[in-house]
Amino acid sequence: MKKNIISWAMLLAAVAWYASCKKDYGNLNSPTIEAFLNNASQSELNNLVSGTESGMRNVVNLYLDDVGTIGREGYRFSASEPRYVTDLLGAANATLSGSNFYITNPWAARYRVIKNCNTLIQAATNSKLITEAQKNGYTGFAKTIKAYQLLLTLNLTYTNGIRVDVADADNLGPIVSYDDGLTAIAKLLDSAKTDLASADIPFTLAGFSGFNDAAGLTKVNRALAARVAVYRQQWAEALTDLNASFFGLNKDFTLGVNHVFAAGSGDQLNPMFIPQNQTGEVRLAHPSYAADIEAGDDRINKATLRNAAASLNGLSSNRDVWVYTSSTAPIPIIRNEELILIYAEANIQLNNLAEGVKALNVIREGHNLAAYSGDVTQGALITEMLKQRRYSLFFEGHRWIDLRRYNRLDELPLDRPDDDVWTEFPLPVTEQ
Amino acid sequence: MRRQLLLYFIICTLLTPLLAAAQAITVTGKITDAKGAPVPGASITVKQSTRGTITGNDGSFTIAVMPDATLVISSTGFKTQNIVVKNSTENLQVTLAEDVAGLDEVVVTGLATSVKRSNLANTVTTISAKELNGTAPAQTFDAALEGKIPGAYINQNSGAPGGGLSVKLRGVTSVYGNTQPLYVVDGVFIDNTATSSGVNVITSALANGATTSNQDNPSSRIADLRPEDIEHIEILKGASAAAVYGSKAAAGVIIITTKRGRQGKTRITVSQDVGFITARKLLGVRTFTADRAASLSSDSATSAALRQQFLDAQSKGQLYDYEKEVYGNTGFARNTVLSMNGGNENTSFYFSAAQRDEGGIVNNTGYRNSSIRLNVDHHINNNIKIGISTNYINAEDDRGLTGNDNAGVSFGIALSSTPSFAQLHPDALGNYPNNPFAASNPLQTIALMRNHEAVNRFITGVNLEAILQKSKASTTKFVATGGLDFYNLQTTALFPGNLQFQAVNKGTSIQGFTKNLNTNFIASLVNTFTPSDKFTLTSSAGVTQENGDYNNLLDVATQVIAGQSNVDQAGALNATQFRAQYQNNGIYVQEEANFNDIVSLTGGVRFDESSNNGDPAKYYTYPKAGISWNLTKMGLLQNSFFDNIKLRAAYGQANNVPAYGSKFTSLVVSNIAGYPGVLVNTQEGEPGIKPERQNEFETGIDFSLLKGRLGFELTYYNKVIDDFLMLGSLPASSGFSSKWVNAGNLRNRGVELGMNVKPVASKNITWTTSVNFWLNRSRVTKLTIPPTPQGSFGYVLGSFQLEEGKSATQIIGLNGQGVGVLGDAEPKFQASTYNEITFFNKVSLRLLIHWKNGGDNINLTNLENDFGGTSADYDKVTNKAGVPDAIYRIMQIGVNAQEFVQDASYLRFREIGLYYTFNKLPVGFIKSIQVGASLNNYFTITKYKGYDPEVSNFGTGFSSGVDVDPYPATKRADFHLSVNF
Repeated sequence: MKKNIISWAMLLAAVAWYASCKKDYGNLNSPTIEAFLNNASQSELNNLVSGTESGMRNVVNLYLDDVGTIGREGYRFSASEPRYVTDLLGAANATLSGSNFYITNPWAARYRVIKNCNTLIQAATNSKLITEAQKNGYTGFAKTIKAYQLLLTLNLTYTNGIRVDVADADNLGPIVSYDDGLTAIAKLLDSAKTDLASADIPFTLAGFSGFNDAAGLTKVNRALAARVAVYRQQWAEALTDLNASFFGLNKDFTLGVNHVFAAGSGDQLNPMFIPQNQTGEVRLAHPSYAADIEAGDDRINKATLRNAAASLNGLSSNRDVWVYTSSTAPIPIIRNEELILIYAEANIQLNNLAEGVKALNVIREGHNLAAYSGDVTQGALITEMLKQRRYSLFFEGHRWIDLRRYNRLDELPLDRPDDDVWTEFPLPVTEQ
Repeated sequence: MRRQLLLYFIICTLLTPLLAAAQAITVTGKITDAKGAPVPGASITVKQSTRGTITGNDGSFTIAVMPDATLVISSTGFKTQNIVVKNSTENLQVTLAEDVAGLDEVVVTGLATSVKRSNLANTVTTISAKELNGTAPAQTFDAALEGKIPGAYINQNSGAPGGGLSVKLRGVTSVYGNTQPLYVVDGVFIDNTATSSGVNVITSALANGATTSNQDNPSSRIADLRPEDIEHIEILKGASAAAVYGSKAAAGVIIITTKRGRQGKTRITVSQDVGFITARKLLGVRTFTADRAASLSSDSATSAALRQQFLDAQSKGQLYDYEKEVYGNTGFARNTVLSMNGGNENTSFYFSAAQRDEGGIVNNTGYRNSSIRLNVDHHINNNIKIGISTNYINAEDDRGLTGNDNAGVSFGIALSSTPSFAQLHPDALGNYPNNPFAASNPLQTIALMRNHEAVNRFITGVNLEAILQKSKASTTKFVATGGLDFYNLQTTALFPGNLQFQAVNKGTSIQGFTKNLNTNFIASLVNTFTPSDKFTLTSSAGVTQENGDYNNLLDVATQVIAGQSNVDQAGALNATQFRAQYQNNGIYVQEEANFNDIVSLTGGVRFDESSNNGDPAKYYTYPKAGISWNLTKMGLLQNSFFDNIKLRAAYGQANNVPAYGSKFTSLVVSNIAGYPGVLVNTQEGEPGIKPERQNEFETGIDFSLLKGRLGFELTYYNKVIDDFLMLGSLPASSGFSSKWVNAGNLRNRGVELGMNVKPVASKNITWTTSVNFWLNRSRVTKLTIPPTPQGSFGYVLGSFQLEEGKSATQIIGLNGQGVGVLGDAEPKFQASTYNEITFFNKVSLRLLIHWKNGGDNINLTNLENDFGGTSADYDKVTNKAGVPDAIYRIMQIGVNAQEFVQDASYLRFREIGLYYTFNKLPVGFIKSIQVGASLNNYFTITKYKGYDPEVSNFGTGFSSGVDVDPYPATKRADFHLSVNF
C-alpha cells in the first residue's frame, strides 16, 4: 500500500509538471503585420513598397478582360469558363452576379493592395528609424497607389460605389457613391502630392524608371489626377494637372509608368500574354475593331489576323489581341498617349477646338494617319477623340468607361440578339 | 518529453513485483463452434495477466499459464467463455456459442480500457478483416470502408489511382476546419494531410496565380495503409465515445488494430490477386453530322471550313470517340501478399510483405503500393508485455491531370470541346498535332506529361503493458502506447515544352518535397478493482501528447531545358515553402463501474491544450459520461421473447483545434523585378481563435432474440458543434478575403439502425446478414458572420452557403426568380446490407449493397460538354423552348442553376465475392487453398448524369459533391488465390 501511495504521489507530481509545459511555435512561414508596425526598418518598409508595386499586378488581366469584354473591345474564350461569354456579354437572360469571379477577384486584389498601402503608411508613421522626408516619400507613394487602386475599383462598380475608408478591417467605412468616390480619390491624390513636395525617396520601383524620385512620382500623381479630373468633368483642372505631369505633345507615346513582369522567384509573368493562333484559351479582338478602323492605321497591328477564326457560343473572330506580345511585356499604368488624349478632351470640352484638333492630330499622325479632316465642332471632335482613345488605348482598360462617361454605351454592337451591355458591376456579395 | 516517458518506465519497473515463483503449466486445446467447425483467430487471454494467444486455422492453441489461472476465450460472433485451469491440461475442448448480435465482442472505451459490447453505452461500429477486405478488395484502404459504417457519409473524390476519399461521421462537424476523422493505428496517430503537387500552376483551377489549390486532386495519405494487415477497425463516431481522444477527435476516431502473431507453429499465407479495372460509366459523345460540325462556328468562313473538315474526316474514316480513347482503357491489377505468423510462449510475430500494382483507365496512370510490416509481441516476464509494430510503405501513383481547370488543359476540359472529327493522333514521327478545338491535345498531354507522387513512409508504434500490482481484488496496470509516423512525399509534375499548352512557359517542372513527422504517446495507469463477483470498478488516468512537424517545399521551374526535369535545368524557378508545427497536450481521468453486468457507468474528463489555439497555455476541459442498463440481466424480462435488452445513453465533448497559423496575419512574398516585396495575406489572423467544441448525446436500445441469432441496435444522436471553425468570408474591401473564425453553432441529429441476423443456419448452408440504415440532418443554429456562398462557383452555377436556421449542406443558387435553395448535399438516408452465405463450409458468397437516397451534387461536367458542343444528348429536343437541349441548358446560365444541382442517389453493388476453400489437400505442407472471384463497385443504379454520383472536385473538405470533369470512377473485377502453409 505504501508503495502505491508513493507511486500515486510521484505520478501526481509528474502530471503537474507536464501540465505546466506549453509550446508556441510562432509563425514559421512569413513575417506578421504586427512585426512591421513596430518600428519598421527602412528595408522592411522597402519590402512593403515592392510588395505594393508587385501586388498591383494581381488579377490585372481580369480587370482588362472585364472592361474589354463589356466595352466590346474583344472576347475572352475559355473552354472551361463560360461566364466570360455568358455573364459579361449578357447572353440570353444572363446577368452579372456579385458572387462571381469577374467582380470579386479584381475587387479583392485592389483592396489587398490598398491594405498594403495602409500598412505602409502606418508602419512608416510608427517607424523611428527614418527621417521625416523619407516618411513623406513612403506615404506620398502609398497614397498615390491607393488612389489609383480605388479608381480601378470604382470604374467597375460605378454608381454602386466603393468603400473609401478601409483602414480598420473590423470597422469599415460606408460604401460611398460614384461622385463621392471620385472626390475622395482626387483628395487622396492631392494629399499624396503634398507629401511628395517635401519627400526623400529611399526606395526603388521596378516599373517607374525615370520617375523614381520625388519629382517623378509627383508627375505620375498628377497624370492620374488628370484622368480623375476628366472623369469628374473638371476640364480646367485636368489641364492644370497635365501641366504638372509628364505630359508632352512631342514626347514618346509610351512614356509613363508600367506594371513590369519577370520570371524571377516570387515574381509574375504578364497574364495578358497569350501567343498568337492559340486554341481553347484565347483573347480575340472584337470583329468591329478591324471593321471600324481607318485604312492605314498602324494600330491594326494590335489585333493580328489568325490562321483560323475562333468561335464559341455564337461568337467568332479571326483576330487575336496582340497588345501584350511577350510574357514579360509591360502593362501601362498611365502613359503619355493617354495624357495627349486627355489634353485633347479637356480642350474640346473647353471649346479650345483648335488645340483639341492639334492634339488629336499628334495621335493620328503618330499612327500613320492623315490629319483630322472632319467637322470642327465640339460634337464631332468628341466622337473623333473617343475613336482615337478606342484605338490608342485598346485593351488598356478604357473604352467601356469612356463610352459610359459620354452616355454612349448604346453605340456598342450586340453580337447575339439577346446580349446586353452592362453599365456597372454589382458590389461583391460580401460587401452588400 | 522523452525524459517523462523514461520516468514512467522507471516507476513501473520499480514497482513490478517479481513473480515467477510458481511453476508454469502448459495448456493445449481446440476451439470449435456449435457445429464442430474449428474457430480460427479466437483470442485466449489469461485473466489478470498480459498473456494471451490466438487459435490457428484449425482452431488449436497452446498457452503457458500459472495454475488456477482463468482463461478468457473470445472471438467475434461468439459468446465469451471463461475456463479455470486447475493443472496441466491437454486437449482442452471448448465449444463456443453463437453471438450474432456481437454482444460479447470487446470494444474500446478509453485510451487504455475496453469493455464487452453488451455493457457499452455507445454504438461503436466494428469492421472485421473479412468485412473490410474479404469480399471484393478495393484499391485502397479508405475505399474499402465505403458502405460499411452506419452513420458515415463516405465519398470518393475521383477515380484517380491512389485514393482520395472524404469520410464524414455523423454529419459535417466543421465547415473549413478538419472534417475528417482521426486515424489511430496500433496507438499511433496517423497523418492524413492532402498535399498538393502544385498542378494549379498548370490548370489555374484557382485563378489567382497560386501554386496550389484545393482542386489539385491529391491522393490520400490514409490510403497508404494495407487493408490486408488489418485485424479489425473500431469507429468512434462522435464525442460521446471519442472524448478521451481530445484535441483531434471532434470528427470521430477510426481505431485500426493490425494483425498480431499467434503462439504455435509458423503459418505462412501467400495470396495473389489479378484483376481488371474499367470505367464505371462513360458519358458518350455527340454524333456529328456536316451540319452539326458547321454549327460550331457562327463565322461563315470558319463554319464552311468545319463542314469540310468533318466531310474529310468522314470520308477517310477518321471520326473518333476521344472520350473512349482517353477513359476507355482497361487497367491491369495485381496484388501479392505474403504473410507469416508464429511464436512461442514469450514472443510472437506477424510479418507481411505485399505489393499491389495497378494501371488506370487512362494511359500512363496507375498505382503501386509496396509494404513490409513486422509486429512483434514479447513478454519480458509474466507481468510486462511489450508490443512493437513497424510498417514501411512505399506508394507511388500517376494521377493524370483531371478536374477543374481554367487553362483548358485537364483531360476532361480538353475533351469537352473536342469534336469527333478533330485529328489528334500523332504522325508517323510521333509528333502530335495541336488541337484546334481546345487549348490542349489530350492524347498528347497523356503521352507526354507526368503527375507522379511517391511516398516513403515509416510507421512504428510501441505498446507497453505492465502489471504493477496484483491482489485478489485489485489489479493495477501501466499501459503506454506511442509511436511515430514519418513520411517523405515527393511529387513530380512534369509538362515538357512541346506540349500544346506550354507555348508560353516552354516546359514546366513542378517538384514538391514534403517531410512530415507525427509523434504521439499515451501513458495511463489503470486499476481494476473487483471486491466481489458482482462489482467491478476500472479507474484510469493518464497523459497524452501529440506533435506534428510538416514541411513542404514546392519548386516550380519553367522554361525547362528540353528533356530535363531537374528544377535547375530551367530558365526560371519559383519556390514556395510551407511549414507547420504543433503540439497538443492532454491529461485525462476515467472511471468505469460495472454492477454485475446489469448497469455500467462511465465517467471521464480530459484537459487539453494546443499550440494552435489562440492561447497555447489554456487548458480546455472535455467531460464524458455514459450509462448502460441491461434489463434482461436484471431479471426484469426473464423467460421472455428477448435474450437480451439493453438501454444506453452517453454524453461527451471533444474538440478540433484550429488549423496551424489561424492566429497570424501574415505578409506573403510578392517580388517584382528582383526587388523583394511583401504583401498582406488574403487571410486575416484571429489571435483569439479557439478550438471548436463538439457536444454529443446519444441514446439507444440494443436487443437480441432467438438465442442471439437476431441482434438489433437503434441509436439516436444529437451532436452540437459550438464555435465551429470556418474560413469566413470578409468584405474584401478590408484587404482580406477570409479569416478563420469561430463562426457559430451547428447541430447534427440522426438515427442509426443496425440489425444482424442469421436467417439460415442448417448443417450445409449458413446465411448471415447485417442490415444498416442511417440518416442525418444538420442545422446551423447560430451564425455570427453574414452568409456568403462557399466552396463552389457562386450562385450562377449553384453553391453551398451556411445560413442560420438552414441545413449546413444546403445548395443555393439562381432559381429563375432570384437566389433560392436548390438542393442539399446531405442524403435523405443511407442503407447498406452485408451478406455472407456459406455452403458446405466451402463455398462462400459475400455481397455488400449500398443505397444512398438523396443528396445533391453540383454537376458541371455535363455543362462543360454542352458548352464545348460535344455532349451526347446535345441535339435532343425535350425542353419547352424547342431548341437543342444543350443550347437550352446553356441558356439557363445566369438565370437558373437548378439544371446543375442534380440528385446523386445511387444503389450500388459495392462488393460481390465468391470464394471456395479446399481444406483437404493431397500435399501435407499446404493446409488450405482458397480461390475466389470478386466484383468491386461493378453495378450501380443511378439517375445521375455525370460519370458517377461519388465525386468531389474540392477534395475532402466541406464542399464535396462538386463535379467538374473528374477522373472517372472505376470498377474492378478480381480473381483471388490464397494458399496457407
